[in-house]
Order: sequence, then C-alpha cells, then structure tokens
Amino acid sequence: MADQVPRPLPMTEDEDTSGYWQAASEGRLVVQECLSCHAVLHLPKPFCHHCESWDVGWREVSGDGTVFSWTVVEHQVHAAFPVPYTIVLVELVDAPGARLIGHLDGAPELTVGQPLRVRFVEPEPGVTVPTWELVS
Amino acid sequence: MSYSHRGECSISGIGATDFSRKSGRSVVALASEAATRAIADAGLERSDIDGLVRSDYDAVQHNDLAYALGMDNISYWGATGVGGAAPCGMVAQAVAAIVSGQATNVLVYRALNGRSGLRFGRGTAMQQAAGAPRLGGGGSYDEYFLPYGLLAPGQMFALIAQRHMYEFGTTSDDLGRIAVAVRQRANSNPAAMMYERPMTMDDYRQSRVISSPLRLFDYCLESDGACAVVVTSTERARDAPKAPAVIRAVAQSGSPDVQGGKTFPALMRPTITTYPSKYAADRLYARAGLGPADIDVAQIYDCFTITVLLELEDYGFCAKGEGGPFASSGALDPGGSLPINTAGGNLSEAYIHGMNHVLEGVRQIRGESVNQVAGASTCLVTSGIPPMTSALILAEQ
Ligand SMILES: [Zn+2]
Repeated sequence: MADQVPRPLPMTEDEDTSGYWQAASEGRLVVQECLSCHAVLHLPKPFCHHCESWDVGWREVSGDGTVFSWTVVEHQVHAAFPVPYTIVLVELVDAPGARLIGHLDGAPELTVGQPLRVRFVEPEPGVTVPTWELVS
Repeated sequence: MSYSHRGECSISGIGATDFSRKSGRSVVALASEAATRAIADAGLERSDIDGLVRSDYDAVQHNDLAYALGMDNISYWGATGVGGAAPCGMVAQAVAAIVSGQATNVLVYRALNGRSGLRFGRGTAMQQAAGAPRLGGGGSYDEYFLPYGLLAPGQMFALIAQRHMYEFGTTSDDLGRIAVAVRQRANSNPAAMMYERPMTMDDYRQSRVISSPLRLFDYCLESDGACAVVVTSTERARDAPKAPAVIRAVAQSGSPDVQGGKTFPALMRPTITTYPSKYAADRLYARAGLGPADIDVAQIYDCFTITVLLELEDYGFCAKGEGGPFASSGALDPGGSLPINTAGGNLSEAYIHGMNHVLEGVRQIRGESVNQVAGASTCLVTSGIPPMTSALILAEQ
C-alpha cells in the first residue's frame, strides 16, 4: 500500500493568526478579542472596528462546539484527503457566531446543533492542530 | 451635487471564443480573439480602444493584451474581483472611466484555461502551493480551512446548501429544477458546451454526489475560453452597427459582515444564507429606478445551483427562504415568469466566470439570443458571491 499523502500543515507564523496556533500548541482553544471593548474578532485581525482599538488579544474558550452545517465529501480533490470524509462547520458554544472547521473521517450521521468537542493533534513535532470530534 | 450614470453608457460590441475542455491555446490568444471580435462587433478599430478592464484572477494583464493586439492608445486600465464577483464590476469600472472622461471606448475581458489549466474546482490554493511546507497566512486565512480538507469552492457551497436546507426546508429537487432549467437553455445554444445534451430530473437525481447535498449537475462546467465586451457612451454607441445595450445601472457592493480572504471566510459571517448580493440589489435597483418586477430576463451567476437560489432571494424575485419553492414552481423553466441564463450560464454554457452572462444579457436586449425572450427590454446580470459582488441592468434605448 502506498504511503498516505500527508495532509497540508497550517502556516503558524502569520503575524495576525500565530497566537491561535501558539495557544493550540499549549492545548488551549482561543479566539481573538478586542482588549478594550471585548468584542470577538473572528477571523483574527489587528484592529477592532467596533471601538477603533489596536489592542487585540486572545480569549480562551471551552472547546465545546455545535454543528452549524456539514458536507460529506465523496469526490476526491486531493490525495491527502481520501473520500468519504465529512467537513463540519462548528459554532463555538461560548463565543456565539465564531465558527471553526472540523474534519471527521467517513460519513457519520449528523444534525444541526449536535455537540462536538475540540481535541488537539500534533501531525508533526511543533505543529498542533485543533480538531473536532462528536460527543457520544 | 448629485451624479448619475443611469443610461450614460452602453455595450456596443460583444465577442467570444469557442468554449472547450482543452483550448490548446494560450490565455493571451483566447483574450485576443474575444477582444478582436468584440471590437469588430462594435464597428471599431483596435486603435479606438483606450481603456482595458480585467478580472483580478485573469492571467492576461492589461499590458499583455495591449501588446498582443498592438493597442498603442491605452490611457485607462483597471481590475476588480474577487474572481467571479468581477464581471459586472468590470463593466462598472468602464462606465466610471467613461463618465469621468478618463476613457472613450473600454474593452472589458475575461479569459482562462479553466479546465486544461488551473482548475478552481480542485482548489487553487492547494495547486498553487504544491510542495510548500505550510499553507495559509498573509491574510488568506487558508490555515483555518485547508488542513481540514475544505479545499474547493463546491465544498463550501455544499455547507451553505445544507444550512439553507436546515433553515428553510429547501430540497435537492429544488436545486435540480435550477440545473434542468438552465440545461434546457444550453441544449438549443450551439455555442454551449451542453448543446444538444439534455438532462432530466431523473438524470439529476441519479447523478453522483460530489459533496453532499450537491451532485455533479449542481456544479458548473470548468472550461477554457474567453469573452469580451466594448463599453462606450450611449451617444457613440448609436453609431455602432448593432443597437446599443444601454447600461441602465451598475452596482458593486459589500455587506455589513464582510470577511477577508478569498472564498472560505464567508462561512464566518453571521448568516451564510444571505449574501452581499442583497445589498448590491438594493443599490442597483435604486440607481436604475427599477425593481425586480421590472426585470424581463436575468443572467444569474451560477457557479453552483445553490448560488442561483441564494441570488433569486437576494435580488428580490422571491422572499428569503422561498428560493426552493420558487424554482420548483416552474418560474425558471422556458415559458416561466423569470427566464434565466438563456445561453446556459456557467452550469451548461461555459464557466467564463460570469463574463458570458454579460454577453447573453446584451444578446437579449438586441433581440439576437438563441433563446430570445419575446419583448425583453430589461435584463439583470449578476456576478459571483460570496465575498463582495456586483450586478448590472441592461435595457433597450
Ligand atoms: Zn473594540
């Protein structure tokens, strides 16, 4: 059997998003927030358009999420992602409106609102990727 | 002081190449052929063109086309996007250049080897980054999406379709009705890739799932080809061989909850079932002094069937959430109340990223479409979503 083509790894050193990956490497899930007015700024950006502050930081969230939507991919686009697999659009329970993407193997039965829980995996030393799994 | 571009400019010439899966030609050659045809159709010479507008995704830069065609008189150029959101916005840039006196005759073009070259359906970031150790960064936000296997636009629109089904009870058959209605138009268009290739609802239901709930026939055709138009003042257009397709109004629009990046960050907006097209519609109708009830025929951007459904709602042809029942009522079928994509659209004519929609809008106003809507005096043309979008209304003189 041919070696599995490795999945792409995220750029973890971007100026605006590196804090997310740094937190992940410490086992914490974070979203960007404005340190002045505490609005969630997702996806991360350096300026708060609500209060015009440049003082942004990271808020730790619980790691609980729910299914907002999903798709079962049956047509293979890239060798690193054999089909079938499921892409989940995850809404964060304690940062309503902030969403992240999850990957589930196969085609599990899903419904909108179903609970998910974050898990941290290390595909390569030094790179930690938050992933999501169904709460059974 | 108020300014209005209403009716000031017209499209006086259109041109296209053949559409194919493998052109065997350079993208510059495709752009050049579409451009020379559009210039001839407008009754102009290459030296009459003093402005060029392209899509930000186009491989042919303004100077590339000026070089290829020996156009020595260029004094204005511009580009807009993202990608398929561009074509109506490109025409809008041409209008702005003409009304402000910066250009006289502007050539607007889109050319791509979208099937034999870089394929959007396979995920452009993954192809362009082949071999790169890390993906994302630089404001793309791809690092939040690609590592999870969200690679291609169709997978994102599948997430959107699933959510629309959850919120409003939309069905797969509703999407199928859009695919079949648009295919029927292509079947009688000799220029369409799906000319004489019929598809029934049973064919749709039996087509393979690509990314659930979307099936093969919910997807547009990746294609090679080019389209171009000449925009000029309505006054000058009256001297052209063909009747002017008057640009009643143009609009580009973002929305209050815009996201950065290219495509996938749109999934982070508070709603994923309403798009900037709703805001473009408000601006466009106000500028045109028209509403959805005044539209005789529409060319609706259709990278996927679900995209059409979202836009039917956002452009006010039915209420939000009613796009499915509207499609299934037969409104879009030949003889229905809202003829759409009368050349076959991106779904069944060719995927020239919506530039082919502008050309078909002109044909309807001229009365020369192969699927002519009797008495059509207004045509809505829309461009792609989700990041920001554009649209225009063409009208008879
Ligand atoms: Zn703030």
